[in-house]
Amino acid sequence: MAGTFASLNTALSALRYNRVAMDVASGNIANVGTEGYARRRVNGETVGASPRPAMWSRYDGAGDGVAVAGINRMVDPLLDVRARREHGNQGYLDIRQKVLERVESGIGEPGDNGVAAAIADFRSSWHDLANNPGNDATRAQVLGRAATLADAIRIQARNVDAESGDLRVRAIADVAEVNTVASDLAATNKSIAIASLNGSDAGELLDKRDQLAMRLSELTGAKTSQRADGGFDVTVNGVPLVTGQNAGSLQIATGITPLGASDGNPITFTVTDSSGTTAVPAGMTGEIGGVTDLLTTTLPAYSAGLGAVAQQLADEINAQHQTGYDANGNPGQPLFSYNPADPAGTLVVALSAPSQVAASAIPGGGLDATNADALATATGVETSYQRLINGFGTEVASVKRLAANQQVLTGQVDGSREQLSGVNIDEEMVSMMSSQRAYEAASRVMTTVDSLLDTLINRTGLVR
Amino acid sequence: MAIQRITQNMLTQRSLGSLQGALGRVARLQEQLSTGRVLNRPSDSPTDTTSAMRLRSSLADVKQFGRNASDGAAWLAQIDSALTAATDQTRRARDLGLQGANQGAMGPAAREALATEVDQIREGMITTANATYLGRPVFGGVTAGGTAYDTTGTYVGTPGAVNRTVADGVKIAVNVDGQTAFGPAGNSVFDHLAALSTALRAGNQAGITAGLGSLGVDLDRFTTTQAEAGTRQKRVEYAQQAAGDDELKLTTSLSSVENADLPKTMVDLQMQQVAYQAALGATAKVMQPSLMDFLR
Repeated sequence: MAGTFASLNTALSALRYNRVAMDVASGNIANVGTEGYARRRVNGETVGASPRPAMWSRYDGAGDGVAVAGINRMVDPLLDVRARREHGNQGYLDIRQKVLERVESGIGEPGDNGVAAAIADFRSSWHDLANNPGNDATRAQVLGRAATLADAIRIQARNVDAESGDLRVRAIADVAEVNTVASDLAATNKSIAIASLNGSDAGELLDKRDQLAMRLSELTGAKTSQRADGGFDVTVNGVPLVTGQNAGSLQIATGITPLGASDGNPITFTVTDSSGTTAVPAGMTGEIGGVTDLLTTTLPAYSAGLGAVAQQLADEINAQHQTGYDANGNPGQPLFSYNPADPAGTLVVALSAPSQVAASAIPGGGLDATNADALATATGVETSYQRLINGFGTEVASVKRLAANQQVLTGQVDGSREQLSGVNIDEEMVSMMSSQRAYEAASRVMTTVDSLLDTLINRTGLVR
Repeated sequence: MAIQRITQNMLTQRSLGSLQGALGRVARLQEQLSTGRVLNRPSDSPTDTTSAMRLRSSLADVKQFGRNASDGAAWLAQIDSALTAATDQTRRARDLGLQGANQGAMGPAAREALATEVDQIREGMITTANATYLGRPVFGGVTAGGTAYDTTGTYVGTPGAVNRTVADGVKIAVNVDGQTAFGPAGNSVFDHLAALSTALRAGNQAGITAGLGSLGVDLDRFTTTQAEAGTRQKRVEYAQQAAGDDELKLTTSLSSVENADLPKTMVDLQMQQVAYQAALGATAKVMQPSLMDFLR
């Protein structure tokens, strides 16, 4: 038989357990909007027969109440891994979309103010000169339109350069953030190890660990693996960045100077930790991967295409211009000049005096306009430019589509995580109320037992 | 878990997401309506962008061709009126020559009067031959000077074609060379008029007859030249017309590629607005209630 006061103790354990259940519910409700919080659930277990200490020992109680077995963090590590991967891809595509859309809006095609319109105006001005070769105004107009065209090309080139400059600064800032987050994660790993040794609740630390790992994935597409002590090891493209309590430091090895300028080399990264410096293989995802790809491939390709357009324009116009003769009967000089290292960024009109425009195909200063007529159709640069814009537009459209698709996927994975880890207020309310009722019932048990004992102690044997 | 757990956060985020999506669609239609264009950046449709750029380029060309053609038509009209004047003047000179030839018994004073008028006609003819359009002598070829003939009737122009590009690859000469219209040096209408005047003064019947003959040849040449220039004027005017038509066609094509279909966009916008309002209403309804409202 159990002792006389056993039921009181059982009721006491229920009071304690339900208090904990209410604490957990109130914690969940308090953190309903907290970023990265995974809901907790209290696990109860019955306190009953102890393991048999001896063959003839018997337990004849009806259970000794309830105890808290543990407080679970409702997370699915596999889902978390998936979420980190999708967020890495999302970071990669988002930065590409943002930058390419900005560059695209600077192009201004199709429209009245783009390079294509400037080319058409330039061609028109040659026709006008052919119609009226004796007039200084039409000659000046040709030079004016040529300058407008060169400006339009230079402005585009400068836009792309400015975007590259911003991206390089961004890469430096991102790398700095990676290093801060990595050292935070290493410190969190240490705290988790200590907590798991001394047995205290590591829930908040684990929340923080997951958030830091997610941020690292967004920035670099880093992969994580869980350690036995609960911490995370992080590798960036196969190179360890965080190992337990030690964080390495990600660095830009080549491609960007500390001041954010280009050093002319491809962009590469290294991780330096206590074991030395390891090069990170190309092909990172995440925001840094997106920035690297933009700086290494996408933007240089557009700049090169624009450079080829500028060069073709200048070469074709110059070649035709030099076969003609200017207003004073002298052979034509090159109309455009540029630096072959950067044709689009340095394209300028080389002539200053309107009389230097070589409209005539015959020497001697007559009003022949055959060359002006030929110059109007001398260049096939429009087709090249259209091809460039078409290619770029297709790329932007494709990135937008990819980013939108990835958004759906990331949203789904986040939804699944939220389904598991998110706090539902109704649910918490229900569990709070059931705890409340259970608490009331346990109190009633105490009252009942108390009244039984009162009857037993104070009234037994009394005859009225 | 068999039953899907839905949390308040999920509802909030989903509602926000769908509201953002709906608002994004409204914003895109609003952009199309306010700019009047469906093609606002290359990525809206790369293929259409290329078409639009090609059409814009062709449109600029066609406009320019129209401008070239009207300039050419003006040149040819000037040439036409100059040649008409030259024909009239030559006829008048022939009449005077015929008078001189018929009235062999004319006194020297009467012949002198005829000769003087022929001289006047010659000077008038030189002025006609120096007709200009926008400061350029239309019979002077590609000369940089302001005249085709000097006061003595000597050709001072630079032979050469003045072409106007009136369509892609179609060039039409809009000038007439002075020596084609007025005759080559030494055998020009000015020489013939001078010879006629001399013959009239001298009462040289044979000279007058020869002069009349050469003026007849000149008249024929004027007519031929005028007809030939007229043919070219016809071509230029036709090209001008074609350029105008092309401009209209290209503008229509460009509009169909670039511009928004207003009624359709309006209807779409209306639909999206209704959808947006429905989403707002649904959000307001879903976000409000919780178990708290029903517990006491």
